[in-house]
Amino acid sequence: MRRILLALCALTLLPISTLHADAIKQTKGNFEDKFRQLDEVLPTPNVYRNAAGEPGHQYWQQQVDYTIAARLIEDQRRLEATQDITYYNNSPDTLKYLWVQLDQNKFKDDSMSALTTTFGGIGNRGPGTKSMSDDEPAQISLSALRRQQFVDDTELGYTISRVVDGLGNTLSYTTVGTLMRVDLLTPLKSGDRTRFTMDFAFNIVEEDAVSARAGYEHFPDDAREGGNDIFLLAQWFPRLAAYTDYEAWTNKEFIGRGEFTLEFGNYDVSLTVPADHIVSATGVLQNPKDVLTAEQQRRLEQAKTDERTVFVVTEEEALENEKAGTSDSKTWRFTAKNVRDFAWASSRKFMWDARGYQQGGDVMPVVMAMSFFPKEGGDLWKKYSTESIIHTMDVYTRFSFDYPYPVAQSVNGPVGGMEYPMITFNGPRTELQDDGSRTYSQAEKRFLIGVVIHEVGHIYFPMIVNSDERQWTWMDEGLNSFLDGVAGREWDPTIPWGVEPRDIAGYMKSSVQVPIMTQSDSVLRLGPNAYTKPAAALNILRETILGRELFDFAFKEYAQRWMYKRPTPSDFFRTMEEASGVDLDWFWRGWFYTTDHVDISVDRVYQLRLDTEDPDIDFARERQEELDKPKSLTDERNKAEGKELWVDRFSDISDFYDQNDRFTVTNKERNSYKKFLKDLKPWERKALERAVAEDKHYYVMDFSNHGGLVMPIILEMTFTDGSTDMMRIPAEIWRRTPKAVSKLIITDKELASVTVDPRWETADVDTQNNHYPRQIIKSRIESYKSKPRSGKVYRDIMHDSTTELKTEDDDATEDEGSSDNNEG
Amino acid sequence: MTIRTPLLLCLVVMLSMSVCSVSAHQQKSGLTTVLFNPRTDNIEVMHRFYMHDAEHAVKTLFDKTADIIKSAETQAQFAEYVAQRFALYNELDQAFALDLVGFEVEGQHFWIYQETATPPNMGKISVRHDVLRDIWPEQNNLINFEGKGQVQSLEFADNVELLSVEFAPHAH
Repeated sequence: MRRILLALCALTLLPISTLHADAIKQTKGNFEDKFRQLDEVLPTPNVYRNAAGEPGHQYWQQQVDYTIAARLIEDQRRLEATQDITYYNNSPDTLKYLWVQLDQNKFKDDSMSALTTTFGGIGNRGPGTKSMSDDEPAQISLSALRRQQFVDDTELGYTISRVVDGLGNTLSYTTVGTLMRVDLLTPLKSGDRTRFTMDFAFNIVEEDAVSARAGYEHFPDDAREGGNDIFLLAQWFPRLAAYTDYEAWTNKEFIGRGEFTLEFGNYDVSLTVPADHIVSATGVLQNPKDVLTAEQQRRLEQAKTDERTVFVVTEEEALENEKAGTSDSKTWRFTAKNVRDFAWASSRKFMWDARGYQQGGDVMPVVMAMSFFPKEGGDLWKKYSTESIIHTMDVYTRFSFDYPYPVAQSVNGPVGGMEYPMITFNGPRTELQDDGSRTYSQAEKRFLIGVVIHEVGHIYFPMIVNSDERQWTWMDEGLNSFLDGVAGREWDPTIPWGVEPRDIAGYMKSSVQVPIMTQSDSVLRLGPNAYTKPAAALNILRETILGRELFDFAFKEYAQRWMYKRPTPSDFFRTMEEASGVDLDWFWRGWFYTTDHVDISVDRVYQLRLDTEDPDIDFARERQEELDKPKSLTDERNKAEGKELWVDRFSDISDFYDQNDRFTVTNKERNSYKKFLKDLKPWERKALERAVAEDKHYYVMDFSNHGGLVMPIILEMTFTDGSTDMMRIPAEIWRRTPKAVSKLIITDKELASVTVDPRWETADVDTQNNHYPRQIIKSRIESYKSKPRSGKVYRDIMHDSTTELKTEDDDATEDEGSSDNNEG
Repeated sequence: MTIRTPLLLCLVVMLSMSVCSVSAHQQKSGLTTVLFNPRTDNIEVMHRFYMHDAEHAVKTLFDKTADIIKSAETQAQFAEYVAQRFALYNELDQAFALDLVGFEVEGQHFWIYQETATPPNMGKISVRHDVLRDIWPEQNNLINFEGKGQVQSLEFADNVELLSVEFAPHAH
């Protein structure tokens, strides 16, 4: 009986939940409303987040201040620390416990991250494995073995030795994977704050072995016995999980992909490291006299106003430094206000350059741009790191707000590229050649400039515009990739930066696409999904749909509204729409909530001609139309054979109809026309007369949408006189018939051809159907084969320029070489 | 039944650059278009790789002096490597003889072109796409099949070795 009841419940629940998932439904026919407003999808606006996408009038967020004293034990590659945490409960709720993030626990061998890494499949970033197949045994790479061995040999994850409240009372806590719940002795009421202290320690991971976002890198070949290390410390102290108005505690396990959801606060951090180390950290150094020489302090001061970059620690000094070691230690103290995280780097290998960025304004008139790098960074870093930091601030500030922090730093270490407040880790290096020199490739140079712009850009998004990275990678990576593309082009547009709409077409037409609105850990192909596609979408929004004026205003509004606050996707969508004054729900729906792509086809163009009703005009036109038709083949051949016509042979059989064809106008028609004109209302007569006088060209164009994504129809019309005209039809043309539309276009000149999206602005995946009349669009292979390989464009100048100048003697013995890279 | 022991494939150079991807960054992803071209009656294969990926790859695959930007020889060598690690098979598991048409650099991409005549009555094609996956486990290659109805995609990532697509018979 009971079982039957349960089964019935399950049955009745099913349709209800389906109904709930899609409240409004087209249940007949196949009409799809591509312009349906997003209200049913977005969360209901409230006092914390209003309908304009702004922080509501009762917006709140928590604050967490940290005072940390940490010691780096270099020979053990271990960190030991104690931290005092002050937690401000600004929420309207009473909290009985606090959740703390223990990110180092991800590296434990029993973590969710480790246990859910599939063999030869998804899971950790980094070292891989390969499953067995029909003809090959299973494979495991040496780096995967290295990772395994490192994890076996090193105890990873936090050791937490003490958790006490402000009065020294022990607090009980429960560890849940990469999180811990700290139970408060008394519930923390709204508006109150609490203090507690934690002692913790952990062994630092070797970045190259486990592929993390921080860790140490060992340099065994340095002159110092045993070599040297660069230490990058991030996710290093237990950080409070965010408590939010939209999700309460954001306690979602750290699996590896989805990054961080954090609170703002003030930091006072003392870092005790070997005395010969140079430290770079979030915040401003409070005790330069204790840790820098008088000369270094003088150089740092000079750098604030110098026109060019100044070395605080020179290459020679760094090289000298890395040769020896010390058993002494020094403590570097940094403070940082209103940051959501704290990271640092320490090594005796660092040289250090700096230049003051004269930002002006009241917020932060001078920002110290600084780079820290070993000899392995070399000239590449000397030339481009600090410059790229300054360029980034210059551009990003225009799109958002003045850079609000006193320093912006780029540090070279084992991490390819990672961002923290005021400090970024960037990977590109020079390469040591056999002759002892260090060189770098063009790609590595582009990588350095690109990665510094990207990571420093992240100080704006999400370090200041504090989006929830664990949920939405695109909110920081997409927005930041869009802006790094803008900044990159302003650095040097000849470098292909890769946020053009055309760059995403291959991904968007594929069947492996997932919606951008997918939680970070579940996204397939994170690069094109969370970086390139949203960046290309914003580019299209700026250059094609809204225009720069409206887009830039709305984007800046979003940045300023959410500076030091926590936006969600709906806040971005609503702000962009509300501030630009343009309904963009269709755009968010298509680009962010679906996997549609753009493929608009112009199927047919036909011409209409106005009937004037005047028989003297219309009959003559009809006669001409008849004459324009192809002649009868039979008549033509008869004539060619010299056949004489019967009517020509006997002149007496011709009559009136031989002189007047069926298009001859008589007064009967003229009288009828006069009556027609007389019966017209004055406005009708006026409109007809004007249309007859102007004699314009009327064309009806049929378009169809094969990709599903509705977009503006951008039309280039070429006329018979060779001139062209552009027409931009808003996407709303698709609102009632999303699969096909027809448009009447009236022109003065006669049309020769039309092209849809001639400048490839919309990420249209198929350009074959963008032309009328159809053109043969060659495939890449066809056009490759047909290219004249001797054209100037095909010269490999970079290679050719290394050619030595030949003497006349050489010419006599040798044919000129060719750099042609065509095999065929 | 024998248990096969794991084989050490090769020393994988960890470049530890998987933290984030920016445009100038190593992407470790390839895009291949397989186009059934009705004009030429050929199956055209167009591989696209990032120059930055190729630049690092050739130094691992060939030797440290290999230079994909300056050296036409390295470019040819890389194209040859790509051709060797990509294969299409018919329903009888016979590999198509793909001609290496050529290669070129365009912006941030390196392109390699292959082609073969389209056989009549083709229902199913199997693909092997191991390019760069021998040196980087995180390399993923996306293939779009175009020119036969809806675009069909195959993704080679993780432990995927052999994938196939089926094409609906022509309507008469």
